[in-house]
Amino acid sequence: MNKEMFDLASWVIKASKSAGADDCKVNLDNNRSVEISYRDRQPENIKEASTKALNIEIYANGRFSQQSTSDLRKRALQDFIANAVAATKLLAEDPIRTLPDPKYFQGRAELELELVDPAYKSLTPENRHEMVKRMEKACLQEGGDKVISVTAQEEDGFQESLQMTSNGFAGFAQGTYYSVFAEMTAKDEGDRRPNSYSYAVAVSRKDLPSSEAIGVQAAQRTLAMLGAKKIKTATLPVIIENQNVGRMFGGFLAAMFGRSIQQKRSFLADKKGQPVASKLLTLIDDPFIKGGLGSRLFDGDGFSAKKRTMIEAGVLQEFFIDWYYSRKLGWEPTSGSAANLVIPPGQRTVKAIMKDLGRGILINGFIGGNSNPTTGDTSIGITGHLFENGEPVQAVAEMNIADNHLKFWNKLIEVANDPFLYSSRRFPSLVFENIVVSGL
Amino acid sequence: MSEMTRRSFLKTTAGVAAMGAAVPIISGGWQQLLGAEKPGYFEREFGISDALCQKVLAAALAKGGDFADLYFEHTVSNWIVLEDGKVNQAFSDVALGVGIRTVKGDQVGYGFTQELNEPSMLNAAAIAATIANGLQVKPAAKFAWLETKNYYALEKLLTAVKLEAKLPLVQKINEKCFALSPLVVKVNASFHDQQKRIMVVNSEGVKAEDLQPRDYLTAFVVAEKNGRREQAGWNLGGRQNFSFYTQKAIDEIAAKAVNDALLLFDAVQPPAGEMPVVFAPGVTAILLHEAIGHGMEADFNRKKTSTYCTMIGKKVAEPFITIIDDGTIPNQLGSINIDDEGTPGQRTVLVENGILKSYMHDKISARYYQVQPTGSGRRESYQHYVQPRMRNTIMLAGPATREDIIRSAQKGIYVENVSNGQVNIGEGDFAFYVSQGRLIENGKLTSTIKDINIMGNGPKMLQDITMLGNDFELHRGGTGACGKGGQSVPVGFGQPSCLVKSLTVGGVKS
Repeated sequence: MNKEMFDLASWVIKASKSAGADDCKVNLDNNRSVEISYRDRQPENIKEASTKALNIEIYANGRFSQQSTSDLRKRALQDFIANAVAATKLLAEDPIRTLPDPKYFQGRAELELELVDPAYKSLTPENRHEMVKRMEKACLQEGGDKVISVTAQEEDGFQESLQMTSNGFAGFAQGTYYSVFAEMTAKDEGDRRPNSYSYAVAVSRKDLPSSEAIGVQAAQRTLAMLGAKKIKTATLPVIIENQNVGRMFGGFLAAMFGRSIQQKRSFLADKKGQPVASKLLTLIDDPFIKGGLGSRLFDGDGFSAKKRTMIEAGVLQEFFIDWYYSRKLGWEPTSGSAANLVIPPGQRTVKAIMKDLGRGILINGFIGGNSNPTTGDTSIGITGHLFENGEPVQAVAEMNIADNHLKFWNKLIEVANDPFLYSSRRFPSLVFENIVVSGL
Repeated sequence: MSEMTRRSFLKTTAGVAAMGAAVPIISGGWQQLLGAEKPGYFEREFGISDALCQKVLAAALAKGGDFADLYFEHTVSNWIVLEDGKVNQAFSDVALGVGIRTVKGDQVGYGFTQELNEPSMLNAAAIAATIANGLQVKPAAKFAWLETKNYYALEKLLTAVKLEAKLPLVQKINEKCFALSPLVVKVNASFHDQQKRIMVVNSEGVKAEDLQPRDYLTAFVVAEKNGRREQAGWNLGGRQNFSFYTQKAIDEIAAKAVNDALLLFDAVQPPAGEMPVVFAPGVTAILLHEAIGHGMEADFNRKKTSTYCTMIGKKVAEPFITIIDDGTIPNQLGSINIDDEGTPGQRTVLVENGILKSYMHDKISARYYQVQPTGSGRRESYQHYVQPRMRNTIMLAGPATREDIIRSAQKGIYVENVSNGQVNIGEGDFAFYVSQGRLIENGKLTSTIKDINIMGNGPKMLQDITMLGNDFELHRGGTGACGKGGQSVPVGFGQPSCLVKSLTVGGVKS
């Protein structure tokens, strides 16, 4: 526990109560981050900074407000808190809005989540420049004479957060992160300049792929998009590449939250215990993955984290219900947010699956698009590769898929064996049948 | 963490999330009328003197560089939210800090601090200085205020308007929405206001200050009919005075949100494939922003990653098309008195009578192209470096009537509202999401359509605009937020109705 943060949070709670609050919750966040990018074999941007933020929820006379500031001087905070409490009292009463029942704070797991890279302290500016230079060099080499522009970037940071409530909760978390990113723009026929990228994010440096691998992959992904065009509208099997599954699933996920359900904006509201997807879809929220980007011991309400099966063999088991909306709905709360979402991987590689499917589209990117959580309707642009006899034959762009989530996830026919580990959404590539891909 | 892609996106949908209550945090200067206010806010409130700026700029140029600048920011945001009939949530946020930038050619060193004291600022300046490796350069000895115009003069700061005066706005929206239809089952309403104070001081001796308000009133409704539910929302705002939020504005927001939701009960999915698309005037100019605007930002062209990088002086559209990025439209969301590197706000003609005339420049790209900066250097906050960005992007009106345009399209779709869009700069490919529209059959508007994506290629689409309406409309919303390189800035847009002869519509039937 960072004593300075603990003392400040305790002081804020005390000051809020003296200013007339009945209860309050404080979140303090400290973040130190460094970012370096290279272009044309020289640094393009170098950025470094520390930030602090205070967020406070005030509960006064049955009323609620939330305030945040980066001005942590005590004199400024004193005025800030006094004004916040005074303003809160002008709002409408909301008896539902309270701090959570402390019984949900109990039973916090005693686990070491390994969220701090022990090697982080020894990371030097030279290390960072070296990582980025190697990424850039590998990408330039692989891209060859097709390269118009290559950018390579590294960002890393150390974060500390403290959450404390006036009814007895205190939780502290620390973490490191590294993100590496390379992108390339290539020459193509006519005026097209395909651009693609590769990236990875991890808690520990040892879990990142090599800088060369990121650079090479960025170039390969870009080169593979040369000559992309739209093809005739067709009903085909599609494979959504692992790192892009999260964006498609986001539209489904949006309907799984307490607020969506209570505000009548969820197409899943009445579907608990019912099949909502193919039997091949199981979704687990696992907060306890060591070194996981979403791992945690408690959530934003202070609830002790729990591993939950949200969807089991296509049947919807749970929603994400926070304290407030659990009270509005009269339901038992779970957690208001996801930690690490996991779709358990299948047996086969994407390559083997493509062979079996014969003809289809491998989706390697989405563009634009949106999803309506009330109805489940979704429509989104895609880029990728048409494959025939299991081999890519044509890069495709400017095409689209549209469906309703309740139908779309029922068309899942296989889960590949390649979970994307550089995200808190650990999804493998997924295979769907009978998808209308619109183009010409 | 950094955004994993440099692709750009724009959204106009107001999410009701954590921001904003009407809590005037700092007293004193905040209560003053702006007309009466003298420059020097950061000196008065935080003791930022010319001598201190000079010292910090000298530290930023300790290893050389072309120039350095300091960007001071103090932003107060307030937001009240009505849910289930009560204004029972209020939020506020205060952001305070300074970003220090050293520029050498197209290389940028950047440090920032939230503590406006000398040691912290010198420390951030030392980080920025690491981008260069030469001999110290001295900043100007004196600083003079830049003369600026005011495109959003305020009668009173919105942060100084009492909470009691703001509450009725959202309460009235709620009442109005429920009164309009018995099918309405949920209403969310919120009022957001923000006061962003900035000061830019650069090593060339220029200092400039601005106060940029941003505000909007929004409604989001869910309606239910025979067990089916539909949603729709609308908002009005920009850089407005509190007096903008009249009963008329409230009625307009409520009526649009409710009517749009009700229309969706009869909506059908259009067929998939290529077809003519007619855009209604106003908010659909997201198309202009995404498909065309981003490719004309100078950084993408300097790096040769935009398809427009070889097109200056060339024909990119039909001769009746003129496109302008304008930071000077009164009270529009994208208007700026100065940009975020201290260049005066201005109007930039991008395409004139079909010919590409100019990119949007910040100082770095202007030096590269040896032109004047166009006042397009913008950043999300003191934590971010400057990029060339759009302000209010508009396409001027043409001669046709809307009816003529729809008739000419014959069979296709009519797009009335779009919620978001995205472009891949290099390919020029874009997509945007249609939340409301109609089918065009036999040259007439027929069934309502919704929730479809439209795809196209920006440069090709610009060439394919074959008719322009005489019904130019500015979108008067307050939520337009453009994302690029992980930074979000407020933007505005507007256009007349227009016909694009062919785009890909992402329907469900093949």
